[in-house]
Amino acid sequence: MNPALRKLVRKGPPSAGDVDRFVADAVFPLVDGTDVTFVYRGGADEVYLRCWIAGLNMAQPLQHLAGSDLWAVTMELPEQSRIEYKFEVVRGGKRELVLDPLNPVLAHDPFGANSVCQGYRYVRPDWTEHDDETRQGSIEIVEVESKTFRERRAVQVYMPARFRENRRYPLLVVHDGQDYLRYAALKTVLDNLIHRLEIPQIIVAMTDSPDRLKEYAGNDAHAAFLASDLLPLMADRFPLVDASRARGIMGASFGGVASLHAAWRHPDLFGRLLLQSGSFAFSDFGAHQRGPVFDPVVRFMNEFRENPGQPGEKIYMSCGVYESLIYENRTLVPRLQAQGVNVKFEEARDAHNWENWRDRLRNGLSWLFPGPVWMVYE
Amino acid sequence: MAAHFLLGPQRPIVNIDLAFNALGDGGPAAVVSAGWQDAEGDIKEVQEIAARPLIDLHLYQRAEDVLASEAGLQELYRERQNRLQELQRLYRLRLRQSMLAARRLLRVDGDPAVVQHEQRHAIAQQRALDRHHLQRIAAIHKEFDTRVANERLPKLREHAKEIAHVFAGCQSVVITGGNVAVLLNRLRLFDVGSIIKTKHIVAWSAGAMALTDRVVLFHDNTPQGRRDAEVFEQGLGIVNDIVLLPDAKHRLDVSDKIHVALFCRRFAPTNCFTLNSGSLLRFDDGRVIGAEDVRRLSRSGALRKVRAQ
Repeated sequence: MNPALRKLVRKGPPSAGDVDRFVADAVFPLVDGTDVTFVYRGGADEVYLRCWIAGLNMAQPLQHLAGSDLWAVTMELPEQSRIEYKFEVVRGGKRELVLDPLNPVLAHDPFGANSVCQGYRYVRPDWTEHDDETRQGSIEIVEVESKTFRERRAVQVYMPARFRENRRYPLLVVHDGQDYLRYAALKTVLDNLIHRLEIPQIIVAMTDSPDRLKEYAGNDAHAAFLASDLLPLMADRFPLVDASRARGIMGASFGGVASLHAAWRHPDLFGRLLLQSGSFAFSDFGAHQRGPVFDPVVRFMNEFRENPGQPGEKIYMSCGVYESLIYENRTLVPRLQAQGVNVKFEEARDAHNWENWRDRLRNGLSWLFPGPVWMVYE
Repeated sequence: MAAHFLLGPQRPIVNIDLAFNALGDGGPAAVVSAGWQDAEGDIKEVQEIAARPLIDLHLYQRAEDVLASEAGLQELYRERQNRLQELQRLYRLRLRQSMLAARRLLRVDGDPAVVQHEQRHAIAQQRALDRHHLQRIAAIHKEFDTRVANERLPKLREHAKEIAHVFAGCQSVVITGGNVAVLLNRLRLFDVGSIIKTKHIVAWSAGAMALTDRVVLFHDNTPQGRRDAEVFEQGLGIVNDIVLLPDAKHRLDVSDKIHVALFCRRFAPTNCFTLNSGSLLRFDDGRVIGAEDVRRLSRSGALRKVRAQ
């Protein structure tokens, strides 16, 4: 049991006042080195910890501390871990998923929010947060008239601070751009890394799909949209370096699949790939177990594994060790390296979520697009 | 008597006004902002503070023009740059091993009579490598200069004449920060060093580094990890026997005392000075006569406040 919790109950059931004081003073969950104790306060029949860690029982029961309205469970969490969780509270036969009322740290995603457990020695990187000293880039909306999809699509284009028409910039195409902006602080990260000279000034096209599970799943039409609709428009509207080494593509989860697929379909187009927790499901034989939405992904990945070609010159990959996709991602690395691709692969003690992807952006972007920081003394 | 003001980054703290106020004359100043590359000449903010006419020399653009016009020079220039880059790459290979050994030795405990001797020798080897590297750089520049002297270069002469004309009307010179390699190349191409050594100079960050006789690149906090500080170039040698470390607050890991001590001992007796935003170092005739928020790296690994001599 956590020492603070043990102290609270050592003389028997604590009074309501004792619990009030304990709750007011402590930071939840209780982190004691690599032991993390999750605490729920309230009346319930049962309480479970729900965290999305591959290989761990999805629902860890919390123990009721006799004579109090506290529930707790302790688990070992390696240092620098970061996990997202909710409590499942059972009352009168009804089950409800709730945020941890005692923990104000939340992570948001398209499905809502989760409570965040920042494990021992996890610190949110400062470059993911607003910095008053940093010059701000800007975002403008560009309408792409897509011949491929026969419709107009809006793309958000990031332009760095001190943008100039008379110079040329590398281009990065981002899948799920809106989510990267909202949940992974992409604009803040770009502003900070550019300001710190860790990446060059860069133009970033943030795309979104109305049907990402279809279009990002190894879809030729999507690759054609990028190659034939988006890139020509970007080259026409913005001063870009016309070289594959100055053209990157990135995405997370299915966005990682879409990035790899587009680079594979158009091998001379993108020289730099940033693939985060790519949903690179494949099957060596027989059917896969990930559900029908993965069917086209598996078809693509199986074909890719047979004939990978050279989908880029440099590929940065990252994946959380607490997600089931770690196996697929680890498997892909030697396959790419065997093709002569310069691959950097990083694992994080995190899971399949936007803040994991946010926290890896500095390493990935600065490796793919090194900035002039070594030579520049402003 | 020429006054040289060496400053740290002008963000977030702007202090070029202190230097301009100290100069006092109010006369026009020539500006070198070539380190900003494409943003060269964007000196509106400096202009507002300087309270005097500023004339940007556009050395970056002039160099582009010269190299585009003078094919022979462009070839020699490219050849020199390739050789310098290759030399730097080879130096880096040796540097990594040499620094690794020195760092490890400085962390060794044991019989002082044995350990200290080996530590001194490791640092001496490092110093010898740095010295050798600088000599090789000098040799490459000398050869380039000799070959260029034999070329007819009308475009270069034309720009050099215009630059000299601007300098003739200015008692002071401003050199901004930016890319130190680009800046040094442009200063050298137009032989600016020989013209400005008698003038008052206000320079910050890369501009200040370029005025010294030895430019050392450093950064302990790059995204891909710490890199060993590298001797990179000869500077203009207008201010001698100092190594300047702009923005050390962000670039130098001062929490690692052995790292700082090694940095100090590697370049001793040359002093290594930090120049953070808000720092000001004033040299008159080679003497420090003013220092605000400047620290010197010491053999103990501590940072010592620099005082005027």
